[in-house]
Amino acid sequence: MDNFRDRLSSCFSTVFPDLSAEEIPLASMASVGKWDSLATITLLTVIEEEFDLQIPPDDLEQFASFDLILDYLEGRCAHVS
Amino acid sequence: MKFADALKTARAEPPAGAQPLSIALVCGCTADVLQTFLTAHLRRVFPDRRVTVETGLYGDCLGNLQRASQSAHLGIAVVVEWADLDARLGLRQTGGWSPNDLPDILATLDARAAHFEAAVQTAAASTPVAVCLPTLPLPPVAFTPGWTASNFETRLRSRLQFAALRLSDSPNVGLVSAQRLDHLSPPAGRLNVKSDLLSGFPYQTTHASAVAEMLAALLRPPAPKKGLITDLDDTLWRGLLGEVGADGVSWNLDRRSHAHGLYQQMLQSLADAGVLIAVASKNGPLRVEEALRRPDLLLKPDRLFPVEANWGPKSESIGRILRAWNVGADSVVFIDDSPLELAEVKAAHPGLEAVLFPKNDDQAVYDLLWRLRDLFGKSALRAEDHIRRDSLRRAAEAPAADPDAFLRGMDGEIVVAADAAAPDPRALELVNKTNQFNLNGRRFSEGEWRSYLHRPGGFLYVVAYKDKFGPLGKIAVIAGRRDGAVLLVDTWVMSCRAFSRRIEHQCVRLLFDRFPVEEIAFDYRPTDRNGPCQDFFAALLGGAPSDVPRLTRDLFASECPPLFHRVKVIDHG
Repeated sequence: MDNFRDRLSSCFSTVFPDLSAEEIPLASMASVGKWDSLATITLLTVIEEEFDLQIPPDDLEQFASFDLILDYLEGRCAHVS
Repeated sequence: MKFADALKTARAEPPAGAQPLSIALVCGCTADVLQTFLTAHLRRVFPDRRVTVETGLYGDCLGNLQRASQSAHLGIAVVVEWADLDARLGLRQTGGWSPNDLPDILATLDARAAHFEAAVQTAAASTPVAVCLPTLPLPPVAFTPGWTASNFETRLRSRLQFAALRLSDSPNVGLVSAQRLDHLSPPAGRLNVKSDLLSGFPYQTTHASAVAEMLAALLRPPAPKKGLITDLDDTLWRGLLGEVGADGVSWNLDRRSHAHGLYQQMLQSLADAGVLIAVASKNGPLRVEEALRRPDLLLKPDRLFPVEANWGPKSESIGRILRAWNVGADSVVFIDDSPLELAEVKAAHPGLEAVLFPKNDDQAVYDLLWRLRDLFGKSALRAEDHIRRDSLRRAAEAPAADPDAFLRGMDGEIVVAADAAAPDPRALELVNKTNQFNLNGRRFSEGEWRSYLHRPGGFLYVVAYKDKFGPLGKIAVIAGRRDGAVLLVDTWVMSCRAFSRRIEHQCVRLLFDRFPVEEIAFDYRPTDRNGPCQDFFAALLGGAPSDVPRLTRDLFASECPPLFHRVKVIDHG
């Protein structure tokens, strides 16, 4: 799953270019000032593109931190396999 | 372009000192994704500019357009969707799809389309406008099944098409091609229902990228190529002339060689639109002459100049063609069925675009025809497009003689149109495509050009030329501004077809005649291509020009060679 972590980090880096590599794993809506609802949609779009999947609107509630999104993606992947 | 790449491109720092370029994006949906893609695609076509794309209010496409037209933008990109014409044609409003609603939807669309059309025309009076009309599928509004083109849908589309027809005739308005957009972004994959309901953005990212790419191309079309050099055997026709003779080569359905006929038809079309067409063939010249005399040839032989038929290296033939045309290799496309020949030519002329003719692959030939349209396409045809080839042919055939005697006998006439208020569109075209006699290589978007000409003290002269050999049309543009005692020329281009006639000297004399200044400063900058301009200054100044060469009235009078033209100046302003 490390590959998932790297790819998600890349998505975060694209949407939040000001975050350093060390800050990305700790990122959350609470800690990143620029992470508003619009940034969530942008992040969703980039993640859907990167992981080639469709994320239902209800699942967006889990898009509150890097760790939660990583858990979500790993869960989706495990579910698919 | 992927969205992540667009984000990176849009956010990348432009080069130091990049000039700002502001474009308005007008739409009714949530604009962020489209704004990102448009910024990224504009950054690709304006790599040396600091591009900003400004958006408006959500849900107010028409109001955004009206506001954008009152702001100082160098271009406006308009993306209209069905929901902007009647909210019931979108998914975020539930105003009703009853059969009883359909007449009112049609009436609303009629009125809104008329308002949009008028607003685009108003905006286009001062700014270039690129318009993308609705691209999404209509929702299931009509009561008919989906496989039926209902009367309602047909009326909707036809009313919009009439508006599009009128806009397509308008200067300064560019419409996104529905056919090309279908190719880049198939209609079935455009709508993103989830995104529309979640955030008010109805496009899949692939579709947003395609729309933005086409809008950027409309706002900054690539400079069209000037000349095409074609091979003959297994390219202009099927068969080897040396083996089957002039009667044995073919381009018809019966011989299954019709794709070559389509290629000939395209070359004839390009030639009639002012593209220079030449031949580079390894063949005996007599055989080629015989084949080119065939009456069923779809490309008329008088459209071909020069015809290089010999057994030498093609790179040498192409070198001679480029000299006869007096254009740079990077303005030219060479087409041949042999990868070896293409490689040999490309090695000698690296700037030239070398394209393989895909013999025995009809589909690939069809794709090539579209590629040629894109490489040579223009937004409009002008009188100069029709006289370019003939003037080059005459110049090549003119005898060498004593230059003064020759020029005196040419009976040259120069007509200068002075008009910065309503500039001839040919002026911008010349400025943006001329490389060799070009003061500094500066290019302009249409919006930038308008702003440039409206500077205080600005002037613009468009120079046309004719002589006993025929007209060359409008061949030079000189522009600048007067600031007190100083006359600054910062745009000056002259077509390579007009070289060796001392028209450039006449331009300088014109400036000294019309402006009571003792000195003219030229915003000259050397480029990879403007050697002829450098040579002109060097001859007058007695050495390589400095950063901003200055020419005094006295120096020009003493160094200017004899001029024999009759000069007429027409003041439009």
